[in-house]
Amino acid sequence: MPVATFHIKRFDPDNDDMPRYDEFSVPYEASLTVLDGLFYVQEHFDGSLSFRYCCRAAVCGSCAMYINGRYRLACQTNVRHLDGDVITVEAMPHMPLVKDLVCDMTDFFAKYEYIEPWLMRNSQDPAKEIGQTPEERKKLDMPIDCILCGACYSTCPSVWGEGNYIGPAALLKAYRFEVDSRDEARKQRLAHFDNEHGAYRCHTITNCVEACPKELNPTEGIQWLKRAAVRRRLFGRLK
Amino acid sequence: MRTDVLDQSRGGMWAWLLQRITAVLLIVGFASHLISTHIMAIGELSYDNIAHRLASGFFVAMDVMLLAAVLYHALNGARMVILDYWLSAKAQRRALSLALWLVGVAAFIYGLWALWPWIKG
Repeated sequence: MPVATFHIKRFDPDNDDMPRYDEFSVPYEASLTVLDGLFYVQEHFDGSLSFRYCCRAAVCGSCAMYINGRYRLACQTNVRHLDGDVITVEAMPHMPLVKDLVCDMTDFFAKYEYIEPWLMRNSQDPAKEIGQTPEERKKLDMPIDCILCGACYSTCPSVWGEGNYIGPAALLKAYRFEVDSRDEARKQRLAHFDNEHGAYRCHTITNCVEACPKELNPTEGIQWLKRAAVRRRLFGRLK
Repeated sequence: MRTDVLDQSRGGMWAWLLQRITAVLLIVGFASHLISTHIMAIGELSYDNIAHRLASGFFVAMDVMLLAAVLYHALNGARMVILDYWLSAKAQRRALSLALWLVGVAAFIYGLWALWPWIKG
């Protein structure tokens, strides 16, 4: 059975002065994912290794990590698909660290909540469901796949520089509701992204597009929000 | 994290939009400036030849427009870079904008003063 060397960045802010890399040898078969490898390390070598996971099917966004120099979901990264047998696993960079591979996502979710990521309506709901044409639904295809893993937020230079920038994930979610034909938030959500802590802090660096494990395009969504703000404020168009 | 600081942030649309508009003006303006200076033969690049070209109202208007566009684009660009790394509070951002506007208006007046003989006609 081939053996992969897991090179894992460890840091416990309570006990360590500096981060370090620990090495573990993990035997693998065809289907071993990086997340499986981390479980193996935890069970056989070091029970104190900390990491987040939940669904193991690339839909919950808990296990986003920096694996071999790229943002990946540990659960959908097959060890065999990585180049070579040495696998470097680090927590997402530029984020406050809780321990080992666990980032502090408090700010990320506070900003996410700030843009009010839910459907807002003023008019009376119809008796049955709120209808949508296939074309209207198609607009949601891209942004609706966001799993809030935080890779885009961690890789965005505008977030590194300006801690109050709400970041690509929250803005992509704002876009997701703004293009939704059922949403009627109008001015309420506009106030959250139409400012310099919002969409205008994005300088289209597109790191987020490169980092996204779901291959989404937050930059495109943010550019749409800027154009929408101009359309609404200058021409009074609401959608 | 306190999100109430985000609530204090308003505006930014005009700065963003004008940065795009001045960018287009600069591309067109610089292209015509370079073409008229270096390709359309006006002879030697001397004071007399440039002064002669500036006698045309079109070129004076073009120069004033370029001056305004360059100043806005450059100072707003500098402002964006500064805000990317520094000055998050509302009062600080306002102070920065005010300072840059003063610099811009002063530089614009200085530019108008240099062009004044031709503006006056």
